[in-house]
Amino acid sequence: MLLDLPVLQKGSFYFIKDGKTDLILEDNTKRGLEIKETSLDETLNVQADKGMIHDMDGIGHWVVIRWYFSKDSFELSQVVIHAEALEEKYTKLRELTCPDDGD
Amino acid sequence: MILGKTIKYARKFVQIMSYAHPEVLVDTEWISQNPPNENRKLVEVDYDPVNGYQKGHIKGASLIWWKRDINDPVTRDIISKKEFEALMIKNGITADTEVILYGDFNNWFAAFVFWVFKIYGHENLKIMNGGRKKWELESKDYTTDEPQFSSVNYIAQPPDEGLRAYLFDVSRSLGKEDSVLVDVRSPAEFTGQITAPPEYPMEHAQRGGHIPDANNIPWATAVNDADGTFKTVDELKQNYEPKGVTPDKDVICYCRIGERSSHSWFVLKYLLGYPRVRNYDGSWTEWGNMIGNPVEK
Repeated sequence: MLLDLPVLQKGSFYFIKDGKTDLILEDNTKRGLEIKETSLDETLNVQADKGMIHDMDGIGHWVVIRWYFSKDSFELSQVVIHAEALEEKYTKLRELTCPDDGD
Repeated sequence: MILGKTIKYARKFVQIMSYAHPEVLVDTEWISQNPPNENRKLVEVDYDPVNGYQKGHIKGASLIWWKRDINDPVTRDIISKKEFEALMIKNGITADTEVILYGDFNNWFAAFVFWVFKIYGHENLKIMNGGRKKWELESKDYTTDEPQFSSVNYIAQPPDEGLRAYLFDVSRSLGKEDSVLVDVRSPAEFTGQITAPPEYPMEHAQRGGHIPDANNIPWATAVNDADGTFKTVDELKQNYEPKGVTPDKDVICYCRIGERSSHSWFVLKYLLGYPRVRNYDGSWTEWGNMIGNPVEK
């Protein structure tokens, strides 16, 4: 079970979990989304669980729920770089939509 | 082999003919043998036309995009009579045209459009049983060619408000013995565990739960899971009557945005023949956002 895997690192918007053969990067904002397919994410060139989110117009967009970085090819430090990029993207979005009252 | 197919088809025919209004349904096989023509139009209704109609549709079918074509672009409402007439003209439909609707998401949005067509008085109207799901399961052909229509005219009827429930109708029905509310959402939405699945981040409400005393009879209980076709009359009766949803009552169906409930509205009104059924299209995104509205979990 993915839920039971040890967490190696976490941010506000991600978890990196220790799988048997993969380092698994999970996007927390996609929690609960149904996995519709597992296929190559061409941006990061690794296998990924993908789901679909419908926008205001009802159009479905494929989104990645989690990425599987093979331990044979990736170190934790390399996965953290992708995780932090994710964190930065969502932090900026949050600032845009819900800016901190204290600022 | 031929005998087996004949028996299967005869069973289907008997099933359809036992509905209160069998004339509102056609099956996929009938569509493949009776393509659209001057007097018969096939219309695909999609929530997501990019992943539906645009990827492929039944030959000769035009598109109604639920969000863009059947809803007012600014106010939350269905299109006006004038806009409906323009939509019919764009799709080559006259007041006498036989129109067959089908679509994505188990015909939810096709049922919503069926409801809007009925509000504006279109008579010769049908749904293709099973929608895109069944057509695809049968590996029937799609095309990406879009049909061209000759110029037509359309005069719609004034809106039949007897098919539609508004917020005040629902409020007034609370506690009345001769009224019954049917919440067709999933049990998780009914109990307030979720307000919308994560796939629909734009459709949440501020409160989770349901309208007091509503019966949770999910839309999916009216269809066969395997191919999305409607269940038999006996199965449908068994689905609704034991929960007090009976033909002697004023029935109001609702869901989250009014599309799944139009599917159940269709079942109750046309397949079971209930005389007084309304669709509350404001549904949970209206009720669950209104300050002071009573909510049960």
